[in-house]
Amino acid sequence: MSAKDLKTTPLHDWHLARGANMGQFAGYDMPLWYPSGARSEHLAVLTCAGVFDTSHMAVLTVAGPDARSLLQRCLTKDLDRCLKAGAALAGGRSVYGAFLDRRGHVIDDAIVFQKGEDAFLVVVNAGMGAAIAAHLEQHAAGGRVSIGDLSDRIGKMDLQGPRAARILGRILEDAQSVLADLVYFAFKGAWRGEQPVVRPVRLTNGIPLLLSRTGYTGEFGFEMFMSPEDLQPVWDMLLEAGQPDGLLACGLAARDSLRAGAVLPLSHQDIGSWPYRYHPWEFALPFDERRTGFSKSFVGDRALLEIESPRYTRPFAGLDLRKVTGGGHSSVVDSEGRTIGTVLTCVTDSGIDRVGERIFSVSSPDKPAGFRPRGLCCGFVRVSSPLAAGQTILLQDKRRSIRVMIGDDIRPDRTARRSVRAMLDAKEESA
Amino acid sequence: MKEISELNLPEDVRYTPEHEWARPEEEHFAVGISDFAQDQLGDIVFVELPQVGDSFAKGEEFGTVESVKAVSELYMPLGGEVVALNGALEDSPELVNSEPYTAGWMIRIKSSDAAEADGLLSRTAYLELLKGIE
Repeated sequence: MSAKDLKTTPLHDWHLARGANMGQFAGYDMPLWYPSGARSEHLAVLTCAGVFDTSHMAVLTVAGPDARSLLQRCLTKDLDRCLKAGAALAGGRSVYGAFLDRRGHVIDDAIVFQKGEDAFLVVVNAGMGAAIAAHLEQHAAGGRVSIGDLSDRIGKMDLQGPRAARILGRILEDAQSVLADLVYFAFKGAWRGEQPVVRPVRLTNGIPLLLSRTGYTGEFGFEMFMSPEDLQPVWDMLLEAGQPDGLLACGLAARDSLRAGAVLPLSHQDIGSWPYRYHPWEFALPFDERRTGFSKSFVGDRALLEIESPRYTRPFAGLDLRKVTGGGHSSVVDSEGRTIGTVLTCVTDSGIDRVGERIFSVSSPDKPAGFRPRGLCCGFVRVSSPLAAGQTILLQDKRRSIRVMIGDDIRPDRTARRSVRAMLDAKEESA
Repeated sequence: MKEISELNLPEDVRYTPEHEWARPEEEHFAVGISDFAQDQLGDIVFVELPQVGDSFAKGEEFGTVESVKAVSELYMPLGGEVVALNGALEDSPELVNSEPYTAGWMIRIKSSDAAEADGLLSRTAYLELLKGIE
């Protein structure tokens, strides 16, 4: 695909004018990093905040009396029990899950936002709007539900990092009341022309938006959905408001390294055309209490319970920052020299490093004095043996072989789940 | 990304189509990667170099340069023996980004066939090649 066939977001001219290194992602010409560099951008999100253009992601609407039952049948999460203490999904709350085919393979992962009793938004990956809309249509046959594809008609940016609430608060109308009870995976407001959920959310210049306490970095922050024409003014306003704190515009390279260190999967790379089981994201499956079955039936469920030769997806972190190139030409070798799988993701999280037996992050409160991380390679392997945390394996590509360690987690002291209150009260830390 | 007009392309080095450069010094050649290459790679976090005494043919891989995202090969602009390494890159690989032709040099080689240097690209020829990539 040549550059002229690529889609662009409404912020494309800004990215070019700021000298971003651009790259192709899911059919879009997107910024990989700006002149500040991917490492600075990654570190900004860990210590201050970063803002990402994520308008390439696709948004669907699912509405009608049968909307909820359709999503309950198609999403891997049990909508009747997915909130804290087994509560059902309700207006103003969202949930992460995946859409599977009958073989239990992933079509895409998604966040489902409940707006009202019969109205939902489904946010999927770039370029996946049409495929997921078709999948839902197929399973909705005859139902009282309408599915709309808002791909390229809704703009989105993600403000992520420990100072996100402080920066956003400066440009938000009635900030205290909007932010006060916005827990992880809650949302409020609506973009231009839509009925707000819970309450309206407006910037001080009147621009309305849907504000969600979600993101793809593992750090505290927000996803902000708005009308495409509002993107540029909001982007400019945010960057100006965050300038004293060191807020940086961030590209897809930092997004990838942040999410890998936070053990978040990239759809079509870490989850994909294979059964959606035995991975770090089993919380997105509706297991019953005994974990022998599911609390509901859904598309793909039987296949997931009948896997004969499991493949396990496990996170790893390197002993230093060196990487291999993942994918079909990579291999994973166990301590006995057997080839047991492939590398799905291998990137450098430049905010972490090993000190003795432990991994510290630049945002670890108990990091050693003078801690200056060089970074660690990290990511996911898919292997035929259920490797335990602490086991070492070799990752190989055509040029090198590196020793890495399986872990249950990678970057410590992440902030995604902290309360807005805690982040607003946090002591000023030097970045 | 730097526009071609913003690239630093000194006259005193010769370039390869793989974006390495070689600078003739008294007895040896210093070798590194071009401003275009470092700009394309982004933040360089690690440079893997050979041992002093290793010999490679022209075009052979002598090491790797690693950005946050990817690992890329480094190719010999000239055949010869490695006589020195830039040890500063071990702690400060970002020198390749900030000063690709000076403090960010990678290896010094003793050329096995000085005539090979004639086959490298001048600044003008390299600039033409870059225009073709854009």
